[in-house]
Amino acid sequence: MSDPRVLDGNAVGGLLHDVFGAEVTAVPCTCGSCGARGEIARLVVYVDCPGVVVRCPECTQVLITIVRVHEHACVDLSGVGRLEL
Amino acid sequence: MGIISRGFHGRRQDGPPDRVPPGQYLTDDFPVLSAGPTPHTPLEEWTFDIRGGSEPVRWTWDELQALPSEEITKDIHCVTKWSKLDTVWQGVSVDTLLDAVEHDAGYAIAFCDGGYTTNLPIEDLTGGKAWVAYGYDGEPLEPEHGGPARLLVPHLYFWKSAKWVRGLALRDDDEPGFWEQNGYHLRGDPWLEQRYWGD
Amino acid sequence: MKTLELDVDWDGHRAGQHLDVRLTAEDGYQAQRSYSIASAPGERPAITIERLDDGEVSPYLVDELREGDVFEVRGPIGGYFVWDGDEPGPVLLVAGGSGVVPLAAMARHWKRVGSSAPMRLLYSARSWDEVIYRDELEHLGIGVTYTLTREQPERWQGYARRIDDELLSEVAFPASEGPRVYVCGSTHFVDAAADGLVRLGYDPASIRTERFGATG
Repeated sequence: MSDPRVLDGNAVGGLLHDVFGAEVTAVPCTCGSCGARGEIARLVVYVDCPGVVVRCPECTQVLITIVRVHEHACVDLSGVGRLEL
Repeated sequence: MGIISRGFHGRRQDGPPDRVPPGQYLTDDFPVLSAGPTPHTPLEEWTFDIRGGSEPVRWTWDELQALPSEEITKDIHCVTKWSKLDTVWQGVSVDTLLDAVEHDAGYAIAFCDGGYTTNLPIEDLTGGKAWVAYGYDGEPLEPEHGGPARLLVPHLYFWKSAKWVRGLALRDDDEPGFWEQNGYHLRGDPWLEQRYWGD
Repeated sequence: MKTLELDVDWDGHRAGQHLDVRLTAEDGYQAQRSYSIASAPGERPAITIERLDDGEVSPYLVDELREGDVFEVRGPIGGYFVWDGDEPGPVLLVAGGSGVVPLAAMARHWKRVGSSAPMRLLYSARSWDEVIYRDELEHLGIGVTYTLTREQPERWQGYARRIDDELLSEVAFPASEGPRVYVCGSTHFVDAAADGLVRLGYDPASIRTERFGATG
């Protein structure tokens, strides 16, 4: 039994490229809950679950959730305060 | 479909079709799936609440332990495609808990430490189909598998078996929980392969 | 460990980037893995795979793959954990196990462009056998320090423990020199090394991190 992986935004760079159509790991992201700001690469990412869950490194609130639904991606950005794309 | 890679098979095992739902493969280990940090609520502070009935009802850890419990052996099916047969749990039937509450709700949302939620029809929580489980394989349920207690609803995809469960909020409507808001099916019956919205 | 060179149709990569490999079986089953690109910009992308016995993808890539075989690759990916070599200040690379791969690409790039930026690699591995790219790293011209955490060869004179504040203070550039840092390895390793460097006075914004998870 291996532990669920806790990674960072680098690990989902390819997936986010598919979602945003651009390289975004260096994009600053502000947490909608606590206001912490840092590059997407610095966010805490859980990949061993039925989707990808991206959390704030300071307050652990969920920022982004991505689920592949058949040929589409369901992307929830409601936890993000701001992305500086 | 992608470009086929010659000679690649993956390492799934198929199982008996009457035990393994469509699209699933068997695993011998027990993968740990997690969408967030593992909570660690001390047992002295732990409670299980049922809200939304005529009056809120609460059990402390000791009170939960004092309720009649049973050993349950069930197959479990994760929407990420692994299935594990004959898993053995210890827990209290949700029927026992709901019997303590006066209600006419059609649905419930399970809520958990860490903020996870999942929704279920009352029908899927009753009739001997669901438990609050605190033991696995003869041992207390480990935190990474949802301990001290998780919901166990093995006839639905395992995301419905909410880890670190702290209660049920009874409702008249089927309000989607965490994964259900993000593309996953409201009900999640593995035999009908109800993985995503619209399946 | 096996290093594969890939023929891809992209224009080139930056040091530190990775690519995603996707394998599809005849019945449609798919598995995906990310690999850091080990080669320097200007060279064909190369990935280094650690074969895990109970892995799903690594035994296929290491044992089964023959020249001419195809699989899907997405990349190059990454715009944060990259080093282009166009700034003069010192660069500290801190590697935990297989985290050395993207850092080796940076060191190779350093050599290829003839950079005059002082560069040091601190490489933590469990044993001497698990150190990869050994000969090459020592001949690039950067400073290389190893720490072997689980077992050491006889007569080993180097560090023999997990990275701690004292080790970092002896190996890292002084914070006052404004070094850039790249740390790569397991989440636990990266968090420990980054925290240690911050305690040494490093500006957290100067430390770039990439966390690897174990997969087969």
